[in-house]
Amino acid sequence: MHVLPLRMAAVVAVITVGTFVPRTAAAQEYEKWYKQSEQQFLELKQKARGGTRMTWDKLPDWTGIWTHDGGTRFDPKIPNYQPTSAKLTPEYKAKFDKKLADQKQGIEWDHLSYCLPAGFPRWITEPFLREFVVRPEEVWWINEQQSEVRRIYTDGRAHVPEDEAYSTWTGDSIGFWDGDTLVVHTVNNKEGQYNRGQPDYSDKVSTVEKIRKVSTDVIEDDITVYDPLSLVEPWHVVNRYVRVKTPNLRINMWSCEENNNVVKTQDGSTQFILKGETGYKDPNSVITGPGGTQAPK
Amino acid sequence: MKIVLAALLSAGIAGIATVDLSAHHSAIAYDRDADVELTGTVREFQYTNPHSWLYVQVVDKAGQTVDWGFEAEGPSTLLRAGIKVSLLKPGEKVTVKGHPLKDGRPAALLVSVTKTDGSVLSTDAALRRGPGGKPIDAP
Repeated sequence: MHVLPLRMAAVVAVITVGTFVPRTAAAQEYEKWYKQSEQQFLELKQKARGGTRMTWDKLPDWTGIWTHDGGTRFDPKIPNYQPTSAKLTPEYKAKFDKKLADQKQGIEWDHLSYCLPAGFPRWITEPFLREFVVRPEEVWWINEQQSEVRRIYTDGRAHVPEDEAYSTWTGDSIGFWDGDTLVVHTVNNKEGQYNRGQPDYSDKVSTVEKIRKVSTDVIEDDITVYDPLSLVEPWHVVNRYVRVKTPNLRINMWSCEENNNVVKTQDGSTQFILKGETGYKDPNSVITGPGGTQAPK
Repeated sequence: MKIVLAALLSAGIAGIATVDLSAHHSAIAYDRDADVELTGTVREFQYTNPHSWLYVQVVDKAGQTVDWGFEAEGPSTLLRAGIKVSLLKPGEKVTVKGHPLKDGRPAALLVSVTKTDGSVLSTDAALRRGPGGKPIDAP
């Protein structure tokens, strides 16, 4: 049995007693939803009797190269640019409606075009190649895009203490094994969008995932999203990753700045600087110069 | 250039499949309802992330040489579609299909490349063909 992390023990105590110190209305809502996320994770851990004490010989075989199935949809059943299955708060519903309306007017921008990371939970939906490195005390989930690594600690540690925590692109993930299922709790994320044509989420978003290999060529990620600012109730989806069988394929270093000539227009949309135009960054000279965006005079 | 594009678009083929450019930027700048088909000479194949770019020299109806850029997915996605960097060499004659930029500049979202041996390179498996235009299985 793992020792219950101090922070979670406190949460259980608060839930049990049913009291906490109220702050602002938003903070109260955050507390309520955040505890639901943490509570779900905790209940799963208790149900698993603290989690399987994992050793090298018990680890599941998740070797190989994988890719997200079903494009970039967070809810695989809902196409992008369509009404979402997420139960959005009025504020985020209005944001999403505006996003769809703007797109119909030819206006769309994605922060990825600045070569920033996708962020989590959007990270779940990104296409391209994935790889899992599974160790008893830690799982690395590698995404080819931006050469990102999501670290999931399974050594029984708690989340980063609140006075040290800050939002990051992949969040802070702790987990445990329930047999061959990896159960993960992720907090401390940056605000973002599930993907283009999908809703936004706030930096209060947190998730509980149950990840398992359901067949030789499919790994499933059962996700419940909590976000007091964007969701009126948790959003449950199941994403799948399928094995990529292309011969000789490897996950190579993925540098976004290698050949990025995308710019944001004055009306907030997406455009390109083409070869031969002012400001074009030639990939052939991006290292040696003189390529590169000109500094303002 | 808009005149050139209009002329080229008039020669565009119907039924070019929609491609899913799902990487790091929106494809909103492209006209997904318009098609362009151009024949020219490969100038450069930038086999890069986040996107690859195929540059093709095209002679327009006025006799002017224009460099057209065709944006494609990054190397790993192209490899999964069998599009190796070695398959498109500078100086090679190709016919390229794509969805052009809305603003008329000479660039498009790549749909397919037809080589002189009749093979068709595309991330859309339905368009892919081997030498002589024969159907091939996806790798």
